[in-house]
Amino acid sequence: MQQLPKEMFQPASVDLSEAEKISKPSLSFWKDVSIRFRKNKLAMFGLVLLILLVFMAIFGPHMTKYDYSTNDLMNTNKPPSAEHWFGTDDLGRDIFTRTWYGARISLFIGLAAALIDLFIGVLWGGIAGFRGGRTDDVMMRIADILWAVPYLLLVILLMVVLGQGLGTMILAMTITGWINMARIVRGQVLQLKSQEYVLAAQTLGANTSRIMFKHLIPNAMGPILVTLTLSIPSAIFTEAFLSYLGLGVPQPLASWGTMASEGVQALQYYPWRLFFPATFICLTIFAFNVVGDGLRDALDPRLRK
Amino acid sequence: MAEKQKLIEIKNLKQYFPVGHGQVIKAVDGVTFDIYKGETLGLVGESGCGKSTTGRTIIGLYQATSGEVLFNGVSVHAKKTSQELKQLKRKMQMIFQDPYASLNPRMTVADIIAEGIDIHGLAKTKEERMKRVYELLETVGLNREHANRYPHEFSGGQRQRIGIARALAVEPEFIIADEPISALDVSIQAQVVNLMKKLQREKGLTYLFIAHDLSMVKYISDRIGVMYFGKMVELAEAEELYRNPIHPYTKALLSAIPLPDPETERVRRRTVYDPSQHNYKEGEPLEFREITPGHFVLCSEDEYKKYKAMYS
Amino acid sequence: MEKLLEVKDLQVSFQTYGGEVQAVRGVSFHLNKGETLAIVGESGSGKSVTSQTIMRLIPTPPGKIKSGQIIFNGEDLAKKTDKEMEAIRGKDIGMIFQDPMTSLNPTMKVGHQIMEVLVKHLKMDKAAAKERAIELLRLVGIPFPEKRVNQYPHEFSGGMRQRAMIAVALASNPKLLIADEPTTALDVTIQAQILELMKDLQKKMGTSIIFITHDLGVVANVADRVAVMYAGKIVEMGTVDEIFYDPRHPYTWGLLASMPSLDSDDKSELAAIPGTPPDLTNPPKGDAFAPRNPYAMKIDFELEPPMFKISDTHYAATWLLHPDAPKVEPPEAVKKRLRQLSSNYPQPVIVKESE
Repeated sequence: MQQLPKEMFQPASVDLSEAEKISKPSLSFWKDVSIRFRKNKLAMFGLVLLILLVFMAIFGPHMTKYDYSTNDLMNTNKPPSAEHWFGTDDLGRDIFTRTWYGARISLFIGLAAALIDLFIGVLWGGIAGFRGGRTDDVMMRIADILWAVPYLLLVILLMVVLGQGLGTMILAMTITGWINMARIVRGQVLQLKSQEYVLAAQTLGANTSRIMFKHLIPNAMGPILVTLTLSIPSAIFTEAFLSYLGLGVPQPLASWGTMASEGVQALQYYPWRLFFPATFICLTIFAFNVVGDGLRDALDPRLRK
Repeated sequence: MAEKQKLIEIKNLKQYFPVGHGQVIKAVDGVTFDIYKGETLGLVGESGCGKSTTGRTIIGLYQATSGEVLFNGVSVHAKKTSQELKQLKRKMQMIFQDPYASLNPRMTVADIIAEGIDIHGLAKTKEERMKRVYELLETVGLNREHANRYPHEFSGGQRQRIGIARALAVEPEFIIADEPISALDVSIQAQVVNLMKKLQREKGLTYLFIAHDLSMVKYISDRIGVMYFGKMVELAEAEELYRNPIHPYTKALLSAIPLPDPETERVRRRTVYDPSQHNYKEGEPLEFREITPGHFVLCSEDEYKKYKAMYS
Repeated sequence: MEKLLEVKDLQVSFQTYGGEVQAVRGVSFHLNKGETLAIVGESGSGKSVTSQTIMRLIPTPPGKIKSGQIIFNGEDLAKKTDKEMEAIRGKDIGMIFQDPMTSLNPTMKVGHQIMEVLVKHLKMDKAAAKERAIELLRLVGIPFPEKRVNQYPHEFSGGMRQRAMIAVALASNPKLLIADEPTTALDVTIQAQILELMKDLQKKMGTSIIFITHDLGVVANVADRVAVMYAGKIVEMGTVDEIFYDPRHPYTWGLLASMPSLDSDDKSELAAIPGTPPDLTNPPKGDAFAPRNPYAMKIDFELEPPMFKISDTHYAATWLLHPDAPKVEPPEAVKKRLRQLSSNYPQPVIVKESE
């Protein structure tokens, strides 16, 4: 064995405050989530796709010299070419311009519906879950009853009363759409409200709104965010579906749903009229779904160290 | 203690929880005791005996089914204006069991500790607020660098100390510690217990210390109450309870604690408690009676005479 | 004495996105037939990972056995495939976990869970297995076993569930039983019953037990030998008397001194171990305990201490045992325990690497 110098056996002065040091850099929960999200290749691909789609929705319509609503009866049903990148429809309108114009409406409807769902759902579910007991029973039964009404019947009724339009469309989607969010939030709040940090806030004298907005909702944010991301594509899909049934936004406005609906009628002769809107519906729904899944994985506490 | 002043009086406290079909769980079933100013009262018992429920009912997290809790002579559960209630909440605080669940993971340590300061408006400026937070961090042996970090970056013992700092922020007189060390490692338990004792000395705090680890309870407590199925079966000074346990349940509990000493463990003999051993008659009234000065036991009239003859 | 299990220089790491966590950093110990070895340590000391590695229960990835051997019955478990391990798990090695609620299958009758082991490993037919299941339930002290055998876990109380779990673990007469904090979730009176049961069964069946716990009281009650773990290493190992009456490592001192004594009325401050255990993603240089050690010397921050042998059975890894180290006094609470043990060598000896 090697000889060890004697002075090595002198008592060392141990700085005990050193023992409380945390060597790792400070990471907030959301920073942590973003690191994990960025490691998920598929989710990142989805995110890039979404950014591209939004970019095109904003700038796409300005990239051509055509307008979304101007008819050009000399050039109807032209296949894709250098002149018309995605071809034209039966009124000679440029499909490229209309696709990106439609993207605006589809994305807007999706986003608006999801945000309204979020607002009502969080409030409704939050109050039901936090109050509990009788309040919870009554509020959730109301949601159940609304959920049980045949959806299409409700939508058609709304269309008849309010007339077709963007606003009606969004209203139709949110009238039952928030229920899903409310259920998720209620479940989260029920689970979180017995956590000791909520009890601690109560013993400190915190009032309901403080507990709600400082403690419960921030901690339920993960599932809320995932539900939100996944409800956007479902709203976009519902819009397409309603448009397909002829309940979509009125002409000459274009959404992907109305374009696809018109395209289907000419599928055998002019397939590009269906191909482009359908492709972008699929891409958008796909992108939102993988981003939502990626978020869920990134938020999953079981993977946290 | 020459002059003992009652800080908390608990009178025939009952807490029943409905479990459906008209049935109730009697989590706390008629408990009466006092806590004196500046003392530590230990509350021990096994899971489901109602010790945590007692603590939570005292602080008002649950509405008591019946009975009274007086703090400095004022009823805790009586109707009050929100201002009075807020004042009362400042006086009583709680330290929780689970160092992982008791701190909001989305808040920084500074915001967690300052929560009480914010609620009660105890700091006029941002600087004053942060100054208080730094002071509190130092009081519990942490430092100001920790203020902007999040709970998940700390170890269990450090988190428990953050929980203590949060409770101290509103300058309470009385702290209920609900199993504050049972989730911690042995080497860390002593840190927290030492800190609690130091704070008691410096600030004259009164503790209700709820735990199932009897050796720690004995170390920290002046008096100890033993609970069994919602009832307090024995209450005495810590040393007295360990030397002269009277109630058979207390005896069984004490005989079951494994000690860190192989030789006593080799010869350990356990006594087993069987509730039927009392042979109580149908409807025989049980009362909490004083056997020797300051030593109370839940017993029947006959047992009282027997204990009295045996122990005094 | 015959060795049933020998673990040699075991190293286990976990790959996390924060880096590689070296959970077990070179652990060596052996277990004799019929004895109980207690492994004590704090959470994160690697005691549970060690036992799960013996059972090959660590998920790979993120876990990985980086080196070492686990010789059980003359075979190296570290080299076995998952398929081969399946035949050993539950047959030659049984395991009991902390939480009986999650380790029993809630959708299966308790009797069935015992019978499953018997049918799978001992190739019993159903009728015989049921007979044996009832017998086992009686053995672990469950009243009315004929009735209980047809009940589901939720119909059992916590203590009864842990008894049932022990019955499942012992069903195939394993040579080794690994108990990972089996009484931590139980009340003291129930804990005492379970400990008695385990000792009793060990006497009857001759099983060797590895008992993992953080409770020194429980250790004193059940163990023949004790291994104290800190930061992924065994820092002290010896017979139960050597650990409790002649501890040598400052961490063991700290553990013993931080517990209040029940017998004395001593209300002086507890000797807490300051600070927190190190982060094992980058373990400190030298002795991992040094930053929390009031007896630390300069060398502790430079070089890892070797294992010193104090007697045939007593090992400790601390530079304090080096002949050049200053004589130090253990904390007051430990001094009260100290006894002269006759088996000690005149001088601690350094254990050579090759041994």
